[in-house]
Amino acid sequence: MPNAVKLFYMAVWRNLLTMTRYKANFVFEILTSLLFGLGMLLFALAFDASMLARTVGSTNYVAFIILGIAFQSWTGIALWGAAGMFQGELSSGQIDYTFTCPFSRYWYIVSNIAASAVQGTLFAVPMLCVGLWFASSTLTAMGIILGLTAATLSVVALAQLGTIFASLVLKYRQVTAIFSFFSFAFQMLTGMFVPVQLLPAGLQAVGWALPLTFGMDLLRFYVMKTTPIMSIEYEWLALLAQLIGFGIAAKLAVAYIQRAAKEQGLHYI
Amino acid sequence: MNAITCSGLVKEYRTQKVVRALDNVSFDVAKGEVFGLLGPNGAGKTTLVRILATLLRPTQGHATVAGYDVDKEEDKVRRVIGYAGQDSERSAYFRLSVRENLRYFASALRDVPMKTALERMEYIAKEIGFSDRLEKHFIALSGGEKQLVIVIRAIMHNPEVCFLDEPSKSLDPLTARRVRSFLKAYAKEHGITVCLTTHNMKEVEEFCDRIAFINHGQLRFIGTPAEFKHRVTVKEIVEIGVPRLEAALEARLLVIPGVSNLTHEASLRLYCDDAFKVLGETLEVLKGAGVKAQVGIVEPTLEDAFAVFVNGQEVMQHA
Repeated sequence: MPNAVKLFYMAVWRNLLTMTRYKANFVFEILTSLLFGLGMLLFALAFDASMLARTVGSTNYVAFIILGIAFQSWTGIALWGAAGMFQGELSSGQIDYTFTCPFSRYWYIVSNIAASAVQGTLFAVPMLCVGLWFASSTLTAMGIILGLTAATLSVVALAQLGTIFASLVLKYRQVTAIFSFFSFAFQMLTGMFVPVQLLPAGLQAVGWALPLTFGMDLLRFYVMKTTPIMSIEYEWLALLAQLIGFGIAAKLAVAYIQRAAKEQGLHYI
Repeated sequence: MNAITCSGLVKEYRTQKVVRALDNVSFDVAKGEVFGLLGPNGAGKTTLVRILATLLRPTQGHATVAGYDVDKEEDKVRRVIGYAGQDSERSAYFRLSVRENLRYFASALRDVPMKTALERMEYIAKEIGFSDRLEKHFIALSGGEKQLVIVIRAIMHNPEVCFLDEPSKSLDPLTARRVRSFLKAYAKEHGITVCLTTHNMKEVEEFCDRIAFINHGQLRFIGTPAEFKHRVTVKEIVEIGVPRLEAALEARLLVIPGVSNLTHEASLRLYCDDAFKVLGETLEVLKGAGVKAQVGIVEPTLEDAFAVFVNGQEVMQHA
């Protein structure tokens, strides 16, 4: 009968071997743990209502956080929906069939993300309604329309980033730690739970590079009348620029991965 | 116009070292033909099918499917092909029924109108005795049933050229025969050219109009199954009813005058020009070694031809 200590030791060895085999994933596992520490520190600061008032001009932390969480369900899908789909197709072998079908790979990914977003919206609606109810003192019909338009635009821009991540799955296969790293970074750096204004200048700059930041900031501005990170016109322009920029990058990433796949085969890139 | 043309196809995989999976392969397949790719495991058959199905780019040479270049006109090729790969076990959505899976693949990925897709699905399922499985979840199917779903998926949009990578894998003999017979009739009725890889010699005999034999990435034979078989039927076979003998004894059998080759699977088989002459000497050798086994003269089969080609006893010849 196998010795329990040896079984434990061999299981640790097996896990370490698996963890270090995919180098990019391993590096991101370490980075994620560091980021979690930093994130928790910032999260603690945000519970100070006076600090929230100084940074976003509102003490309505309940609406602030619920709108952030509602947004999170969309961002999760926009970013990881296609990557998860590809991971599934890659491990099941279905991807061979998919890649022999006559459609643009880019649009295949984007349309699948959109389909998942519709599904995600169904689950996010109750939460969003609760968030809006808590913001009822500042709510207007036009505010809802403009806020949701900004949210939609940022999710579409995020979907482009999701397309790049889907290409990463085809390239690196084992990417769970990369996912965790970016998930947490997106939560902490984009103002989902902690105002972006609270972050150190360097991290704020990273937050501005992510479409989520302006989408969420605009939603809160229109719904809760918070103080925006920068002027509203700049935020709309930044969102559009991110949509175009990430869109081009996503198309290039898909084209690159298609070329690589045709050279070595989908399972060997 | 040929349905498939391959000219000087070379495919090299570059990982730590360069591996040449296909080496200067050229052949044509006529429209409406059922064409089989034979060869041992790792011979290059799947690589060839993947190139023709636009999944891989050839390192050298070029190929066309339905007149379109597989590298330069991949979108056009994808519009006219069907494809069933080897990994059928998990190659559809587990939690959807067979009907839902096939409807999704035909309509969403192949642009077949929903009504047409459903009609074709019903028709094909009925013809191959699969109608009672359409409502089952994919995950609940047996390995053979999953394979059938993948084959149906490959043909239900009526492609001009259909690539089937080991289509009868996991099928029981009766189902395999029923599916072959249906596929042959369906392909003929709809003018579909079929290109399949297989190790199943029964499939080759019943299904294929012509075959190509590939080994170590090289084309070793192209012709009809009968011609393939004929390449060894000029020889005769002495069969010894044991799977293996001692190496020294097998070496002695190989040097019996007239013996050109020896293969071993369920039994030892000596390929020779005159079986009666070799039979006597074989009995002498076995008697001298004290081996008691059933020994006789048998008719060569397609599997014998396969074994001879795998063992490298034949060189490329267009029949």
